[in-house]
Amino acid sequence: MDTTTQPTTTQPSAIEKVFAFVDERVGLKTLQAKMLNEPVPGGSRWAYVFGSVLLFIFIMQAVTGILLMFYYVPTADHAYASTQYIIHTVDYGWFLLSYHFWGSTAMVVCVFAHMSQVFLWGAYKKPRELIWLVGLALFGIVMGFGFTGYLLPWDQRAYWATTVGVEIMDKTPVLGDFMARFLKGGATPGQMTLSRFFVIHVMVLPAALMGLAGLHLFLFRKAGPAGPFRGSVEEIKAKTDYFFPRQIWKDIVGMVAVFLCICSLAFWEPIVLLEEATPDPGDYHPEPEWYFLFLFQLLRLKVFAGEFGQFLGAIALPGVFMALLAALPFIDRDPERNIFKRPIALISWIVVMASILIFTVAAIINREFLE
Amino acid sequence: MQPKLKSKVRCTDGEVGEVRRVIMDPLSHEISHIVVGGGTADAVERQVPMGQVQAVSDEMVTLRGTSAEFAALPAFKRDEYVTTHEVEIAHLEDRIHVTPGEVLVPFPELERSVKRRTFFANFTHVIGFLIGFPLAFPVLRYLMKPMYSPFDNEWLKIGNSGKIKQDDVGVQFKYKRKIKEAYMPEQEIDKNVWVLKATPKVLETIYQGKDMEFRDSAGKHIWTNKKDIPYIAYSGKCPHLGCGFKWRTHKTLGQVFLCPCHLSIYDAAGKVLDGPAPRPLDPLPIKVTATGDITIIDMEFKAGTKAQVRIV
Repeated sequence: MDTTTQPTTTQPSAIEKVFAFVDERVGLKTLQAKMLNEPVPGGSRWAYVFGSVLLFIFIMQAVTGILLMFYYVPTADHAYASTQYIIHTVDYGWFLLSYHFWGSTAMVVCVFAHMSQVFLWGAYKKPRELIWLVGLALFGIVMGFGFTGYLLPWDQRAYWATTVGVEIMDKTPVLGDFMARFLKGGATPGQMTLSRFFVIHVMVLPAALMGLAGLHLFLFRKAGPAGPFRGSVEEIKAKTDYFFPRQIWKDIVGMVAVFLCICSLAFWEPIVLLEEATPDPGDYHPEPEWYFLFLFQLLRLKVFAGEFGQFLGAIALPGVFMALLAALPFIDRDPERNIFKRPIALISWIVVMASILIFTVAAIINREFLE
Repeated sequence: MQPKLKSKVRCTDGEVGEVRRVIMDPLSHEISHIVVGGGTADAVERQVPMGQVQAVSDEMVTLRGTSAEFAALPAFKRDEYVTTHEVEIAHLEDRIHVTPGEVLVPFPELERSVKRRTFFANFTHVIGFLIGFPLAFPVLRYLMKPMYSPFDNEWLKIGNSGKIKQDDVGVQFKYKRKIKEAYMPEQEIDKNVWVLKATPKVLETIYQGKDMEFRDSAGKHIWTNKKDIPYIAYSGKCPHLGCGFKWRTHKTLGQVFLCPCHLSIYDAAGKVLDGPAPRPLDPLPIKVTATGDITIIDMEFKAGTKAQVRIV
């Protein structure tokens, strides 16, 4: 759309000229208008901030990750020393590494919040099934980032989380042994494992995440935001505003809050490495990152004992859970989005969240017992 | 002024229909033709070049010729055009000031003569497949290079039995193993085994009255642990999910091997007492000299399986 230029007596400045030059060729103003003028049905809400916050966290992870690679060396004989060098010698290295570490935690927390919001709002329903499916793939990628990144410092915590994690993958029927050896690049974790995890962490997953996040956003823009789950058409229409400024303002506040949380954690709880990785755990009690703790605790149960039990707990249960999530928009075809009129959905969400909480707490309590 | 869709179209001698579509020139971005149809006499839609248009007002397009001349114009062929949504012509839409409807651009001359479009589309996929498919195997082999390596059956000295003071008590022996991985210089990694000087009762539980034979994957005999030798070395790797287990005192079960990961508990004979482990601890080939020097073959077995599957 053409905009008429304001009658003005002053000449346009150099910057304005450059902007006009680019705008003429690219259509920046239209692009900006299209980005910002997205109607948010029922108006902006704090509940909608998680997607934008996740994008922000990812960008910060990419930036801090690139900075870490300036010193980090992904070899079994240098990974630990180079990470220690980042922490102890490089100016602000401790901060960047700790930010990257706590950023990953924030990412997992926000992914759970984002998925919960979409689930509770019934926003996965028609016509948004594809957004939900791509979102699930993104969830898998975020977990993959956590798992592969954990090995890179090459300390005891890293080594054992990977050892156990890959052994779990090994329990997949038919393909398990191949997958585990493929990831480890051998029978036991070593240099090949580190190389593979490094490449996956810094190349494969970021590329996959960028592509899928782009697709996620594209599909989201195609379908439009779902809006609130109750209220008449008139009420929703009356409250509708554009993405800019109110929703962006809320998103920015969310980003700042998350940024400050990550910075504070990095400052007060900076990363401390354990001993360098070896196949002898010494006095170290292996434990995964806190967001995998519930799964870890689950595998301690007698129900999941033995070869079959282990397959049940480590592969079948999470597999069925993910499959159910993927099938959700196709099983739940009722257009009703109000969570208070979807008792099964509400109860399922509470049960899943409560189980994760209970198992996580149980794992923490078990720590005392081990001391 | 540009002709509007739905405008009436008049010739010098009367109305011939309405503007059904407009056709844009892809280079000049100007309207080149209008498509006129819906006239009473002639049901065929005809394509009128803009040169024939004399005047355009809000609701009326006036043509220069008579209705007979209009009837002599070529009929509009829809399949020679594509809509502006189906082509990527930059800024084209900025120039159209017509109400939404079917706005067309000509399907290029060269394209019209192409008969087997579907064939060409599929052929492109075949070419892609022919490039990708031969690469799949080399790429897979490339990535699989380090995955499988032969077992090393070398005897490693791990310490002296003098360190074991009590029977049926697990004692950890740490040792170093040299490994050479791909391009890396040879390295030493720390490993450990748990050695037990077993009483006959425990030995009986482990050996069940039979010597324990170790064979390689081809079935060739490597070593036999004799059932009456009291020293047992357990691989330091928990058969549940591969963590390192310890010798600990349990509140009710007494002295046991306990894995801190998923809390599998084994007795001195390696038998599972509690927890999720699928099989007993894995005894390794062990030799003890007259002076008490202990050597073992460093083996590792896949965790989480009922059967012992050697992987190192």
